[in-house]
Amino acid sequence: MNTSPSGSRDALVEIRNLRFSRGERLILNDLSLDIPRGTVTAIMGGSGSGKTTILNLIGGRIKPDTGQVLVDGISVPDLSTRELFELRKRMGMLFQTGALLTDLSVFENVAFPIREHTKLSETLLRKVVLMKLETVGLRGARDLMPSELSGGMARRVALARSIALEPMMIMYDEPFTGLDPISKGIIAKLIRELNRSLGITSIVISHDVPETCLISDYAYLLGDGHIIGQGTPAELQKSNSEYVRQFMDGLPDGPVPYEYPAGDYLQDLMEEAA
Amino acid sequence: MNGMVRTLGRVVVEGIERLGRAGLFIFDVVRGTAELRSRFGLVVQQIYAVGVLTLLIILVSGLFVGMVLGLQGYNTLVKFGSANSLGLLVALSLVRELGPVVTALLFAGRAGSALTAEIGLMKATEQLAGMEMMAVNPITRVIAPRFIAGVVAMPLLAALFSAIGVLGGHLVGVGLLGVDAGPFWSQMQAGVDFYGDIMNGVIKSTVFGLVCSGIAVFEGYDAVPTSEGVARATNRTVVYSSLAVLGLDFVLTALTLGEV
Repeated sequence: MNTSPSGSRDALVEIRNLRFSRGERLILNDLSLDIPRGTVTAIMGGSGSGKTTILNLIGGRIKPDTGQVLVDGISVPDLSTRELFELRKRMGMLFQTGALLTDLSVFENVAFPIREHTKLSETLLRKVVLMKLETVGLRGARDLMPSELSGGMARRVALARSIALEPMMIMYDEPFTGLDPISKGIIAKLIRELNRSLGITSIVISHDVPETCLISDYAYLLGDGHIIGQGTPAELQKSNSEYVRQFMDGLPDGPVPYEYPAGDYLQDLMEEAA
Repeated sequence: MNGMVRTLGRVVVEGIERLGRAGLFIFDVVRGTAELRSRFGLVVQQIYAVGVLTLLIILVSGLFVGMVLGLQGYNTLVKFGSANSLGLLVALSLVRELGPVVTALLFAGRAGSALTAEIGLMKATEQLAGMEMMAVNPITRVIAPRFIAGVVAMPLLAALFSAIGVLGGHLVGVGLLGVDAGPFWSQMQAGVDFYGDIMNGVIKSTVFGLVCSGIAVFEGYDAVPTSEGVARATNRTVVYSSLAVLGLDFVLTALTLGEV
């Protein structure tokens, strides 16, 4: 099943035969996937299936045991720290928690990457930050501190910050987790709109099926460390694969067992406490 | 028995591995300080956080330590008719030993623990990872300013501790116990050597600053990113810093006195 999506000859991210393990535990095994330019591509899978690990590999925060990770044709694991930082200036990442710097205001959080990497005058910087905040509808919240923001607002500020340097791609790590339905809707709308208006490539890691299907052009389903299903959201909805059905319909039992592997129940009960 | 040997082996290997990691980390931090010229504001901010905000506990402790030294010193010296040397005793005790050591212990408890908790929580809330993904090196932006601030603040705090301690000794010795103020100050002036005594204290407190700040930032950066992990790291900072300060104090004293 490790094939590329059809018609994705111009892929921004290419992962080939990737293997990654943590200690004895194999997380990703012979994983191959393509993220086409200009699209919203979702990577879905259960908790602990290695979705976030894929983002960390693309961002160069960890290195694979074997296999290739190419971003814009550049092999990420082979980059020096300096080269990696140069590449990251062209990547945005929205963390699950937002990862806002808690000692800086909303304005300063969005200004942070601009101050670090450019020499814009304060007048121009103010204009750029206000424009980014306006994009996510939070221009009026510029003076608030992160502790004063709701979960949804914090994620929108983080989104404004991740587009501050006008990246070529944004990686979203569980953007809908822990949000109320309205905030989920706002984030979904922003992901879609930013993708279109900025012409960027978006990778959405999520286990939130309805919202993710609503905004993505293509989706991969991850299980047992590799791709076990892929296609447009409509194709996945119609899939006959048992695993895909279980995940898309949220069934409690199926190829992914309900019970954690254990020995014989009766014998377990009869055994005396050690 | 086998299990015990295995556990012992694992603990030793893990300890050595961690020490190696700490060494590489501090090397990175020291290298990162080279970029602080353009981030001077950050260092000043951190000197305020670890230095100025620690002042109160340092000054109050220094005053009481000085007062106790005044009391204890007077009671011993008066038996030998040397109560006039009280100023010298108080000053030498503070400048050479108590100033640097007690300041470092208080620093580890107040500022070191705060540094570890802050950095550990930044890690747990993905702020450090977020910086890395924004192509900003957290070692340069977060760790190095805090490390340097600790190194700069420690000798200054130790000097203030000693100064207020001398005043405390004066308050008790001269103010309460009736020691003559003239010999109290003049013996101090004659007996305390700038290079032999004061610089000795400055060197000690600078070394303690390096060690306490190094331990605090490393423990924070290396913390397991959970609430329990940060709590353990904070605990380790205080314990390791205190032990390191007391152990190094002996080594530095032996080296400067040249007796061992």
